[in-house]
Amino acid sequence: MNKDRAKVNQITIKNRKRLLGAFAFILFIMSVLCFRCGWWQIVKGEELADTAAAQQTRDSLVEAKRGVIYDRNKMELAVSGTAYSVWVRPADLKTADSANKKEDLTSEVISGLSGILEMDDDEVRESVTADQNLIKIESGLSKETADRIRELELTAVELSEDSKRFYPLGLFASHLIGSVSDDNTGLAGIEAYYNRYLTGVSGRRIQNTDVSGNGLSYGFEEYYAAEDGLGVVLTIDEVVQNYVEKAIASCQKKTQADRVMCLVMDTETAEILAMAVTPEYDPNNPREAPTEAEQKKLDSMSDKKKVDYWNKMWRNPLLQDTYEPGSTFKLMTTTIALEEGLTSPSETFYDNGSIDVSGETLKCWSDVPHGKQTLEEAVGNSCNPVFVTLGLRIGKERFYNYMELFGYDSITGIDYPSEATAILQNEDTAGPVDLATMAYGHGIAVTPIQLATAVSAIGNGGVMMKPHLVKELVDSDGKTVRTFEPEEVRQIISKQTSDEVCDIMEYVVSEGGVETAYVEGYRVGGKTGTANKPKAGGYSEDTYSSFIGMAPMNDPKVTVLVIVDSPVGIKYGSQTAAPCAQTIFKNILPYLGIETQYSDDETEKIEKNKTTVPDITGLSYKKAVSALEKAELKYKVQSGDSSGDSFKVKDQYPKAGTKVDKKSTVYIYGSK
Amino acid sequence: MKIRKFNRTLRKTSKYNDFILIFLTLILIVFGVIMVFSASYYSALSKYGDAYHFLIRDGVFAVIGIAAMLGVSRIPYRVLRKFAFPFLAAVVFMLLLLFTPLGKTVNGATRWLDLKIITVMPGEFAKLAVILFTASYLTNGRDKLKKAGSVIWLMLVGGLIAGLIMLQPNMSTAVTVVLIMGSIMFVEGLSWKWIGSLLAIGGAAGAAIIIKEGGYKLQRITSFLHPFDDPMGDGYQVVQGLLAMGSGGLFGVGLGKSMQKNLYLPEPQNDFILAIIGEELGFIGIAALMVVYMLLIWRCINITLNAPDRFSMLLGSGVTAMIAIQVLFNIAIVTSSMPPTGVILPFISYGGNAMLVCCIGIGILLNISHYSKLDREE
Repeated sequence: MNKDRAKVNQITIKNRKRLLGAFAFILFIMSVLCFRCGWWQIVKGEELADTAAAQQTRDSLVEAKRGVIYDRNKMELAVSGTAYSVWVRPADLKTADSANKKEDLTSEVISGLSGILEMDDDEVRESVTADQNLIKIESGLSKETADRIRELELTAVELSEDSKRFYPLGLFASHLIGSVSDDNTGLAGIEAYYNRYLTGVSGRRIQNTDVSGNGLSYGFEEYYAAEDGLGVVLTIDEVVQNYVEKAIASCQKKTQADRVMCLVMDTETAEILAMAVTPEYDPNNPREAPTEAEQKKLDSMSDKKKVDYWNKMWRNPLLQDTYEPGSTFKLMTTTIALEEGLTSPSETFYDNGSIDVSGETLKCWSDVPHGKQTLEEAVGNSCNPVFVTLGLRIGKERFYNYMELFGYDSITGIDYPSEATAILQNEDTAGPVDLATMAYGHGIAVTPIQLATAVSAIGNGGVMMKPHLVKELVDSDGKTVRTFEPEEVRQIISKQTSDEVCDIMEYVVSEGGVETAYVEGYRVGGKTGTANKPKAGGYSEDTYSSFIGMAPMNDPKVTVLVIVDSPVGIKYGSQTAAPCAQTIFKNILPYLGIETQYSDDETEKIEKNKTTVPDITGLSYKKAVSALEKAELKYKVQSGDSSGDSFKVKDQYPKAGTKVDKKSTVYIYGSK
Repeated sequence: MKIRKFNRTLRKTSKYNDFILIFLTLILIVFGVIMVFSASYYSALSKYGDAYHFLIRDGVFAVIGIAAMLGVSRIPYRVLRKFAFPFLAAVVFMLLLLFTPLGKTVNGATRWLDLKIITVMPGEFAKLAVILFTASYLTNGRDKLKKAGSVIWLMLVGGLIAGLIMLQPNMSTAVTVVLIMGSIMFVEGLSWKWIGSLLAIGGAAGAAIIIKEGGYKLQRITSFLHPFDDPMGDGYQVVQGLLAMGSGGLFGVGLGKSMQKNLYLPEPQNDFILAIIGEELGFIGIAALMVVYMLLIWRCINITLNAPDRFSMLLGSGVTAMIAIQVLFNIAIVTSSMPPTGVILPFISYGGNAMLVCCIGIGILLNISHYSKLDREE
């Protein structure tokens, strides 16, 4: 028994062998694992370290602030503000400890985001479960929205700040300023043309982060500051632009035209003071149609159609499209003929209603022949046969040379993207009839800016200036970095011809038929035009009715071109575009500080309407009232009880001796 | 001679005999606390707002563990024999308690008994229970393993414990328990016939599962060979661990400078702490750690080889197997050399139960070394 017990307790050789065998086995496995570690750490080390570094560092763009667009008086038209983007890290949701928790977190994120962002659950789910490290859900969010998302404290959801373009004036000069894409690149207009100045240079921040992208206090960090974009100061005057936009909007309403466009230019420098097209679109939401009906139409379009629609909406027809100038072009013919000495302002012409050219009869627009008329009167009457005569006198070769001189052979070079140029008939194939029709502005298409530039040259003593939209570039402190001076293109006609044409233009407005553009006290001159719009294989009934004018004609300072596209009813430029131009002149001439020059008749008329305020201080109420009534003035008691006997006038406004319009009110301040 | 005399004197006067084993264990525990602090620093800060959250707890576990080791080393191992069956019964009872509301579920697995003041992992104690039970059962008579009935009885007990643990579910602990029992049987002298047929049965069962579940299961099992194929899915932790190891290279990025612990590697203080060690201390650091483990295992085997009797020899084998299996599994998982399951790195990974169980194991070995034949044979 004892022996047995001893045997049971005895450790055998076999036990020891097995123990040593087990140790050898452990040692072997450990050696293999040691090599395995070496494989990952040394052989694969560099590759893994690179992969790890890529996930551990964040290389983020530090966005440069886009430059501000100002009007000429440094009023802000386009600014960059802070907007927020929501991002999700799908990986963070996948690392949740269990499948249940993973799903809980995911649906929490989805319902949270879709609620605030007003998005579809499925749409959000697709992004949130994407096989991506980081995915952008939405951008351009306001601070309020961002704060609401932040308050939910959702897992894996991050907010980032970025800059968004704001146009504080909304639907204002949008065809001129243009807009930007989601990544703040200029899409159209000034935003596109001056994009490289506005953009600036973005900086970078490279830093070690934890898995959620939070920077680490120990890890390295490199920072390259961004260089902010330059501000662009336009030649546009916000006030003038405002007057213009109001005027053309009411003109469109009155004429039921498809659209009305207008361009106001400084005659002497060719700086654009205003440029507008109805309807303007909202550059804050450049992909939104201007009206609800239009938006519905847009929503139903195919993607390709939408792009076409947007391009059309963003297009600036004043610079990027041509139109048939019609009778406004007669100013060109007149100018050429005068410059070449082929006619004089006092030459008389006779119109019998039509003229024969190479066997073809060209009729005047008017059914009643104009009969005998001077050149001045012919311009006022817009008598076609007279300009056919002048055109034939000039001859084809000379006419085309002048077209080149006036700049119709090339773009004006204005600082705006994709400028268009005039379409002239081929000089080699154009016959006498073609020349004759071109002489009165038909069968030729020019851009509005080309016409305005040429007419301004006539008003500027014959010196043609290069039209431009930007005065200067400024840095973020408002310091001028670069100035764009007015640039002279060439002298196109003599000063004398310039003066003669200006006189003719003034005559046209003051007594030659376009009195609808007349502004009392200002010497406005101009010319209307009405041309049928071309359509496939001929002309349609729709017209471009336009007016181009300048003021004051003794030394023109502003050029205004108004084009009404397809007015309904009366189509004549004198009834559609000219009254609109009149409104614009009436508003902007005083604003621009242009002094009034009344004719004698006008002065007398004005004087007749004025009266002198009598001295009523110290008088009783009754006496004061009778004195005011005698002077044809109204009155209003501002203080004191006028029914009382003791009432005495203590003070009055305006003071005695002031000249005021009849029927204006005098304020009476009485004693108790 | 003088040195030997000194040694003997020391041995007589000291109650804890094998200083080398104590020394190696202490090195690992202290190193573990340092690494847990380094690895958990950032995640503790971001999760609890307290960078020392895990350090403080791990320090407490270390102290309890060392105390338990020294305490157990003073209990004569023969006494343990009496507790073999009651302890096993207690563990089975605790494993069953997991299915009551006392069981605490984390991440879909019920592995903890929430006793309010402390949480207990019955699965960890099952390892000790199986060691004690197996060693005790096999020394209850002569040549037990020659009788098929005994082998099958042991397998049934092992299968019951492993099965209960699998229900938690906790595959890795179940496998560890089975392997510990197998190791003890191997050392006791299980015939190659048995070993061969058991391996064959295991292989057949595995094949059956794969056939039944289709290629998908096989793909899941072998996906560890290509962890980067699915870096965001199941392999996420392994991939992040490998990225950490790779970043460490030969010499490491320096203690405390790991980048992967910044929430890239989830729970870096737990099962994947080796990856952070590899990142901070490099291949050199990992190799040195492997050497320390091998020394520790050798010392355990040495004590076992010189154990005074069969029971203590089997007890020592079981403890050695418990530590060696977990070390090898852990390193294999972190290096993507086997399918990822949760196995701790003994003495180093954060976790009170595992620390306590490993320390008790070392305590048992220390006591065995007290009766060692090392000197008697001189």
